[in-house]
Order: sequence, then C-alpha cells, then structure tokens
Amino acid sequence: MIKKISLLLLSLCSLTSCVVVKEYEKVYLNDPDMILAAKKANKFVTSFQVYREAASGANGGKSGGGCGCN
Amino acid sequence: MKKIIIVIVSLVSFVGFSQTTNKEYTKRVLETAEVDILSSFYSQDGDNAAVTGGIGTEKLTDLATSFTVSIPLNDNDVFTVDATISAYTSASSSNLDPFDVSSASSGGDDDDDDNDKSSATNSKSLVTNSASPWVESSGASKSDVWTSLSLSYSHSSDDRNTILGANASFAKEYDYTSIGVGGSLTKLFNEKNTEIGLKANVYLDTWSPVYPTELDSYLDDNQNLNDGHFEGVDILDQDGNTIDKNGVNVWSPFKNTLVDNKSRNTYSLSVSFSQILSKKSQISLFFDLVKQDGWLANPMQRVYFSDRDNYYIGNASSISNYTSPTNTDVFQLADDIERLPDSRLKIPIGVRFNQYINEVVTLRTYYRYYYDDWGIQSSTAEIELPIKISDTFTLYPSYRYYTQTAADYFAPFEQHTSTEEFYTSDYDLSEFNSNQIGIGFSYTDIFAKRHIWKLGLKSIDIKYNSYKRNTGLKAGIISAGFKFVMD
Repeated sequence: MIKKISLLLLSLCSLTSCVVVKEYEKVYLNDPDMILAAKKANKFVTSFQVYREAASGANGGKSGGGCGCN
Repeated sequence: MKKIIIVIVSLVSFVGFSQTTNKEYTKRVLETAEVDILSSFYSQDGDNAAVTGGIGTEKLTDLATSFTVSIPLNDNDVFTVDATISAYTSASSSNLDPFDVSSASSGGDDDDDDNDKSSATNSKSLVTNSASPWVESSGASKSDVWTSLSLSYSHSSDDRNTILGANASFAKEYDYTSIGVGGSLTKLFNEKNTEIGLKANVYLDTWSPVYPTELDSYLDDNQNLNDGHFEGVDILDQDGNTIDKNGVNVWSPFKNTLVDNKSRNTYSLSVSFSQILSKKSQISLFFDLVKQDGWLANPMQRVYFSDRDNYYIGNASSISNYTSPTNTDVFQLADDIERLPDSRLKIPIGVRFNQYINEVVTLRTYYRYYYDDWGIQSSTAEIELPIKISDTFTLYPSYRYYTQTAADYFAPFEQHTSTEEFYTSDYDLSEFNSNQIGIGFSYTDIFAKRHIWKLGLKSIDIKYNSYKRNTGLKAGIISAGFKFVMD
C-alpha cells in the first residue's frame, strides 16, 4: 500500500518536468469547468453522501466532524 | 546632448509609467463581494432503518439552504461567512419513540439526568396498537433542524504564490454540537503549474444523546416494568403471550449504561498536489489522514441479539410477521443501542483529472480509494461531462459509482450475539454498492447584467441526482444555486 502511494507520488512529482504552461496559455485551464475541486453547487450532494456512506474526504473539502454521521 | 537628456528622461518616465501600470493591474484575489445562495431538497426511502435495528422504513426528507458571502478586504485578503440551515423529517428517527407519545424523545432533555425526563415519561400515555418499524410515529423526534455557521479568512502573497487560510465553524442540531477550527497553507511553484496544499482541522463535537425510548425509560423508571413508561402496558413474548412482569423471564436491556463519553473529536490532516499537464489537462491528488475518538456510535440506533429472548408491545398476532412491511401494530423492545470502538482512523486518497476536450465538451473525472481501521474499504468513481450548448448555458450529465465493504462490527437485524464487544445494524456501515446519475444545467452571465438590488446575477446552477443502493435504499436530491456579485 505505502509502496504504491510512494510510486504514485513520485510519478506525479516527475510531472513537474512537463512543459510549463505560461499564464497567457491557460485560457482553457481557466475555464470554470476545469476547476480541480467539487463544484460549490454539489455541497449538499456531498453532505448526503457523507451521511449515507462510510467513506468521506479526499475531495478537497471537509473530511469529518460537524454532524452525527459516519 | 540635449537630445540624449530628453531620451533618458523619456525612458525613465516610461519605466515609471510601466511600473505604475504593473501595480495598477495587480489582479485582486477577489474583485468584488460575492454572494452564493444554495438550496436543496433531498428525499429517500428504504427498508433498513438503523433506529429500528436494521429493518423498518428509512423514509426521510430534508430541506437545506446555505448563504455564503465572500468579501474582499483588500487586494490580497478575503473573508468568507457561510450560514447553513437544514431541516429534516424522518420516519426512522420518529421511531426513537414508536409508541407515539407526548414529549417522548425530544423536548429539551439531555437524557442523562434523573428527573425531567422521568417526569415527562410519567405524564405520557403509551399508544401500543400502532407501533411498528414500518410506521412513522408522530413523536417529536420525527424532525430536527441542523444549523451551521463557518467563518474563513485567506491571505494571498503579492506574487500569488502563497495562500494562508484559517477557518472556524460551529454547528448545532438537537442532539449534537460541533466546534471546529483549522488552518491551511498553499504554495504554487513552477510558474503556477504546480500547487501543494496542506490543511489541518480539529472538530470538538459533543453529543446530547437521545435514546430509544424503552431503554431510556427503563433506566429512568429504576428498572421497574410496573411503573412509569411501562405501567399498565402488556409486554408479549415471542409466542404472543403476556409476560408476568414480576417473573423471571422478563424483558430488560442488555446493558444498564448508555453513553458514558459524550465527546467525539475529529483531527484531520489533508495534503493536496495539483499539476498542470498541458494547456488542456490538469490533475490533482488528495490525501487525508483522519483520526476520530470519543463516542463514535449513534445512541439512537437499536440492536437486537439472536441469543436473547424477544419481547414486544402491540398486537400479538403480528409478531410472526414482524419483519414484513405489512406489520403495522407490533414493536420489538431493543436489546441495546449500537456499540462501536472509541477510535477510528480513516485514510482516503483521491485523484481528480480534468481534460478540456474542445470548446463544447470538458471531461471531469474523480476516483477515491478509502480505508479505515473498522474494516471498511471503498472505491468511488465519478465522471462529469459538461457540455456547453451556448455562450450562457451548459449541461452537466454525471455518473458516480460507489462500493464499500462492511465494517467488522456490522450484522443485519437479529444476527448479532451478546458476546460481541461491538455491534451495529446500521446499513450505512454494511457492504453495498450504489449508482448515482445526475443531470444539471447552468446559466452564466459573466457581465452580471440582471440585478436584484445591488447584486448582479452571475450564474444559476440547477441539478438533480438520483441515487440507488443495492440494499434497496433510493434517494433523490435537487439543488439550485445562485451566484451574485456586488456592484
């Protein structure tokens, strides 16, 4: 498990050697649909999933606490 | 010589102009105050209510609304306030007191003292002919309101390569209070192509426990089946015969203690790593480490043991039909509330990858692996395909698949034994998989031309999600979000 995570982290770190995208080239990346997070409008959808499922977290949002849920 | 001086002066003034221009065009982190209003309606139904031991109606509706205001304090600092209110009605939690009595499972009592709850109990009269896991009670516990207030502050460095954040939150529902604080640090490198984030949060939560009424009343009434809650009420055995309450074979809870530690603390550490892969794709990795301690079980949830005799209140002829939804008039007295370890370690790891396919379609994907030391492992895979149908309208079809293994302490109705240390019949901790299909649309007006008072409407998001679990639970949620910018 730890080995797999380390490999994944190493692979991602190596991505920093990709071609650097300049600010003026980020027009597509700045599209609102390209944001690397759950959309704000999904806040309550995520809430009910946290209540109904055992797993939570690792989505850039809240990872526990605040309710009597699992 | 004069010409040279003029040229130098011109150049200096040009440089000065350029510097002034650069400073003037330093982009503010947030140009103007923003207001987000989000509202949702959630509805579910199923046959595995945890409050009634893993069988019974799970019918529940919830109406929630949040207001989020983000205010730029200056070029670099943003202050955000979020207030949320969520009101639910639940058939299963109404069966905290299935006997439909006055001031039964709510009413301002914290259920840990001696007097006020008992006096309320003594004044009520049991309605024994309509109690069943499949019938919603009209007791006070059928509804509750959850409110939350959170404040956050972020500071960005002048070069926008460092972002510091702090947050505090407070949440309250009838039987639960939460206080949270946290901080975050984000660093951007590599011409803002790489981002690393660290976030830490602590939640100090407190139960004001509410229990299944028969367990609570039995202890409040000094374990006397001839007094208080049980006075004048017939208790039936498995064969439907009325028991002698002064005899040897009588119903009693498995344990005479309920919640002995009202705190539930959560400590979380989150690490994120984001990388631009090309002009049209980027990826992000999330890693959380979450430690919880305290009372991690839900004191509202009943458990029934297979190695203890069963006792009922209600119609004797319906006992043989107890687990069927056609049972409307008999209720089995609980053996205990669920008991779970006082510590839990959760490790979720998530990956998000987005690809801008063309000016019409964008691909958004997400995968999460989750592990915890209660024996649960899960996988979540999600895909969303935003489709721009015009300059202002976008469609959002989405699909999500979720699967989890059961917690070590889960067993269905009447399948636990009293020799176990920990037990729950909460199907949220069972083995299952679920499918969620969603469709939504958004309207965006980047110029915010439509106005309400001093607020310009920037976007509207409406989305519906349908959720189905292979345990039979079905749910639907519709959300509507409105974003305004201050003039």
